[in-house]
Amino acid sequence: MSLWSDLSERLRALVFRRREERELDDELRFHTEMDAERRKRSGVDAAEARRQSAIALGGVEQVKEEVRDARGTRGIENILSDISYAIRGLRKNPGFALVAILTIAIGVGGTTAVFSAVDAVLLTPLPYEQPGQLVQLYQYEGDSPYKGYVSPVHFLAYRSQLSSMEGVAGILTYNTVGADIGGADRPERIRLLPVSADYFNVVRAQPVLGRGFLPEEENGARTVVLSHALWERIFHGDPSALGAPFLMSGAPYTVVGVMPAGFTDPLVGNVDAWTPMDLTEGLNPQRAMNHWVSVVARLRAGVTIERAQRELDQLSATLRRELVRGNRAAAVLYPLKEEIVGSASRSLILMLGAAALVLVLVCVNIANLLLVRASERDKEFAVRSALGAGRGRLVRQLLTESIVLAVAGDIAGLLVARAAMSGIVAIGAGSIPRLTTLSLNPRLLAFSIAIATLSAIAFGLAPALRAARTEPGDVLRQQARGASRGGAEGRFRSALVISQVALAFVLLVGAGLLIESFRKIQDLDLGVAPDKVLTFDLELPAARYDSTARGRFYEEFARRVEAIPGVRAAGGISKLPATGNYHQWGTTALTGPLVGAQLGNRGDINQRIVSGDYFRAAGIKVLEGRVFDAGDVMGAPDRVVISQSFAKVFYPGVDPVGQRLSTGLHDSDVIGVVADVAIDPEGDPAYYVYHPHTQWAGDRNWALAQVIATDGPPIAAEAAVRRVLASLDPQLVMYRPTTLAEAIGQGTATRVFTLRILIAFALVALVLSALGLFGVLAYTVRLRARELGIRMALGAGTGTIRRMILRQGLTIAAVGIGFGLVGAAALTRLMASLVFRMNPLDPGVLVVAVVFMGLVAAVAAYLPAYRATAVDPREVLQAE
Amino acid sequence: MPDERSELVQGTLEMLVLRLLAEEPMHGWGMSQRLEQLSGKAFLVTQGSLYPALQRMKRRGWITSTWRTTENNRRGRYYALTAAGRRQLELERASWERASSAVNWILGARWATGET
Repeated sequence: MSLWSDLSERLRALVFRRREERELDDELRFHTEMDAERRKRSGVDAAEARRQSAIALGGVEQVKEEVRDARGTRGIENILSDISYAIRGLRKNPGFALVAILTIAIGVGGTTAVFSAVDAVLLTPLPYEQPGQLVQLYQYEGDSPYKGYVSPVHFLAYRSQLSSMEGVAGILTYNTVGADIGGADRPERIRLLPVSADYFNVVRAQPVLGRGFLPEEENGARTVVLSHALWERIFHGDPSALGAPFLMSGAPYTVVGVMPAGFTDPLVGNVDAWTPMDLTEGLNPQRAMNHWVSVVARLRAGVTIERAQRELDQLSATLRRELVRGNRAAAVLYPLKEEIVGSASRSLILMLGAAALVLVLVCVNIANLLLVRASERDKEFAVRSALGAGRGRLVRQLLTESIVLAVAGDIAGLLVARAAMSGIVAIGAGSIPRLTTLSLNPRLLAFSIAIATLSAIAFGLAPALRAARTEPGDVLRQQARGASRGGAEGRFRSALVISQVALAFVLLVGAGLLIESFRKIQDLDLGVAPDKVLTFDLELPAARYDSTARGRFYEEFARRVEAIPGVRAAGGISKLPATGNYHQWGTTALTGPLVGAQLGNRGDINQRIVSGDYFRAAGIKVLEGRVFDAGDVMGAPDRVVISQSFAKVFYPGVDPVGQRLSTGLHDSDVIGVVADVAIDPEGDPAYYVYHPHTQWAGDRNWALAQVIATDGPPIAAEAAVRRVLASLDPQLVMYRPTTLAEAIGQGTATRVFTLRILIAFALVALVLSALGLFGVLAYTVRLRARELGIRMALGAGTGTIRRMILRQGLTIAAVGIGFGLVGAAALTRLMASLVFRMNPLDPGVLVVAVVFMGLVAAVAAYLPAYRATAVDPREVLQAE
Repeated sequence: MPDERSELVQGTLEMLVLRLLAEEPMHGWGMSQRLEQLSGKAFLVTQGSLYPALQRMKRRGWITSTWRTTENNRRGRYYALTAAGRRQLELERASWERASSAVNWILGARWATGET
């Protein structure tokens, strides 16, 4: 027999069931009629013939049943009827079905989304060949563990002398380098990344077209490797772009290569073009104090990071003896991936923990829901069992119902996962590295679906088995007498709800801590007034602006912008306030009590170059002396303004104004003291030395971030500022205009991300536990309806009954909160790394969490308590 | 009224149906009449055994069915043999002959026992 005809016949029988049935009907009727006709021919009258035929042929229904059996679709038909029975049953109880499906959907969707995010960020290897060999190298001074940039002098030494490295690449991430392209008609700014020649070997990604850089180009040669996207956009994918001139910021470059599509830099991500790094400074040992190179290296195959570190330590010791005297530089290696995701990993682990807790909660809730449902249907099952329904069949039906629920929940969960993932990407894209690579991971989806489905089946099966075990007579008698169900089950369900409350409480405390931390950060005084301040980057192409022109331009631009109505002050700075360390140079006191002492080797003295009326634009108070003015120009004595706490440390007990200091090869007079500014949005302190741009324009081409304080909304001033810029030079690009508050807020993005995710999870947990509590109490009330009726009939007041039910609910909640407190205490270490300047068991947060949880529990308990007293006792008793 | 006719065992019924259909396509009632007639009313072919058997044989791909008009202008479901059905008939005929000759031999022979 052929398998094909068997399957197709069964399938046909299944799909065209109605037609099959009709044909069977017709065929059997035909048979009967033919038989009757034969009898009629032998002389009986028509009615008698039909009667005889019917007797002779036997029960038609029985024949039909046997034919149906022969179709071989009986099993599937039973399943289909179970499914339609289950769907009918769920429809009759839409509240239960909706809550159960939503619960499963949240469990599946939320956890899949979070697992996928963790997978994309933490677990997936870096997209480079042999990524485990890649390390990042940091330099630090003496005994300080500070992770610093590498000086070009040291970089060259590491590159030529480390035998455990296959390659050592330098990358200029220190400051963002851009270039204006497109000319005056459509000026556009692109992201450039200067790299050393061996960069492409270290990341093991070669240009698909042309070549990388040559060692002899490491002097700032004007060659460029384009990203695939830029090549497509500018040269329309034409290979003749190789060798073509390419104008960047007014200077002609030669295109020498095109990178493969999708290639991103390990440290900075998307880059439009690469240029050779200028490492000539590295040949001068005098520059060994000047740190600005980021270093990514590839270990030789088989070499461990520990062995490479030992070799690096020896080399550092040698370099300290042989390079400039007094240089105390050491260097340390970290696995590259750890460095990239390190800051995000804690918040992702927290998310993972929260997701796992929610998944547990979901399973508990499913169990609870199904238990309630099953006990509601005890009577139904008892009756059906008494009427002869097979136990196997009952079990199968309950199981089918669980599976129907689970499948519906899984499908909804898929939608939730998609929505949650785009939400996670939207919230976290700027702050969590690699998050943009997030995609729905089928393995993880399968995992969550399996967990939710299994729990639905397991908890659906437990009551099914019990229903099959119970003696129908017992149940019916018990129900008739209105006796309550055994205490064991009640205790089990209370335990479930207690665990729910505990889990929700832990999440609530976590969310509370993060909210409180965030509020503290928001309330910090960073030393600047970031509201109503417009900011954008402005670079002057060196090809068209020499240092004198640059110095003049920034001052002129600030004056012209200040003339715009509604602009209070305008200026520029080499690094926006509270956005991190930059230009940390050692600084030597030339006068005062600490004369000759050098500070700042640990990187805590930040140098800033300012133009225009920066201090007023950023809202930084001038405390002593004066700030820069039109007199502080090239040729005049070098002058600096220092921050308050630096003045106290550097010139203890004396008037800082009039003192002298030396930094960056300039000896300068201190002309003023300004208020402290935090180094990051979390308020960490730093020392600042400010220099006037006009006196430093020759040092390098400073691309100053413009800072413009306005009376109205800062973005409203953008158009007017743009017009001023175009009137001065139409080819210049106002790059990434934003508000200062937003630019500073970028620093808290990871925190905001974690906060939002945790709040979402805490709310879900709260709702789930409230549902659980509500379910248990509602069930209790129903079971005890008779008892409560008698009590009321005997004169118990409504209030007494309500208090009794409420007390039961709040007792469960209190025990749950107790366990939750223990859980929160157990998690203090994880939370300690995420909270901001507060105790992970902050009493205020705990109290608020207890009150909040208690209120939710009270509401969840009040409804059943109210319902318990809303019935007329006579009705309850008469219903027996 | 005691019925002397015996019901056919499943396998035999299927074989005989195959044999009938090897002559010409037939409907179920025709088959039951023909079998009773050919067996001299020795076999009883009930609806309850015939139609499930036809359903099974269809599933196995031995026969197909079509609705056609009968000679006296009714609609009847006619079954016809497929190539696989024809092969099956030959197989069953061969194994039947082997089995029945063996049974006949055993029933009819006088064989020596050890106690001669």
